[in-house]
Amino acid sequence: MNKHFNQIQVAVSKINRQHIQLFFLVLSLSLFVLGAGAPDDGGNIGR
Amino acid sequence: MILLSAILLGLPVGLVAARAQQRAYQPPTLAHIWLIFVAVLPQLAILYLPEVRRQTSDEMTGILLTVSNALLVTFAWLNRKQSGLSLMLVGAALNFTVMAANRGFMPISPQTAGRLVPQSILQDIATGTRFGLKDILLQPEHTRFEWLADRFLPPVWLPYQFAFSLGDVFLALGVFWLFAFPHFERRKPL
Repeated sequence: MNKHFNQIQVAVSKINRQHIQLFFLVLSLSLFVLGAGAPDDGGNIGR
Repeated sequence: MILLSAILLGLPVGLVAARAQQRAYQPPTLAHIWLIFVAVLPQLAILYLPEVRRQTSDEMTGILLTVSNALLVTFAWLNRKQSGLSLMLVGAALNFTVMAANRGFMPISPQTAGRLVPQSILQDIATGTRFGLKDILLQPEHTRFEWLADRFLPPVWLPYQFAFSLGDVFLALGVFWLFAFPHFERRKPL
């Protein structure tokens, strides 16, 4: 149990400011291309 | 989906390029990111939430899409000096132009739409009505800026079929470039 806790702690400590910044950037630009782009695969037709 | 895959391709390319140069990957820095959220969240609500979509008229949806696209063009303009953003600005502006000129929706011809859905379904959709999320079914001769519409298709043998516009091509190239080469600088003339 303690070993698992330590492993999680080490993993979390590796998440630094830059990782959060990158995640936020990917999220924002994904929203941008979803918003500005308009490709259509006919996905929701008849659904 | 196809545009998101440009991000998924660009990011690993940028990470590998940074590692090859033995430096840490520096994500691009963008200003006024809040504009994206202000622009896109209402758009996502009216397109993806069935209850909101049902209660919003097509006319109102067209207006909201136009306003949303205008805000996204503004964001791209404010960040146009960032690598890749100038291409994204062109893409967003092209899509904004054709959509604003066609009641706020992206035009698609019945011929192009016929590659995406079976003819049995397509014949029940009248021209001038909505098709899919952001598209409107229009004959090419009734489409303003037809060359900017969803008129391109991937090869027939590709299992995933979708229609895309010239603006979408610029957007995909721009977002790929932004993540792959976030700090690329053009050489200044001597």
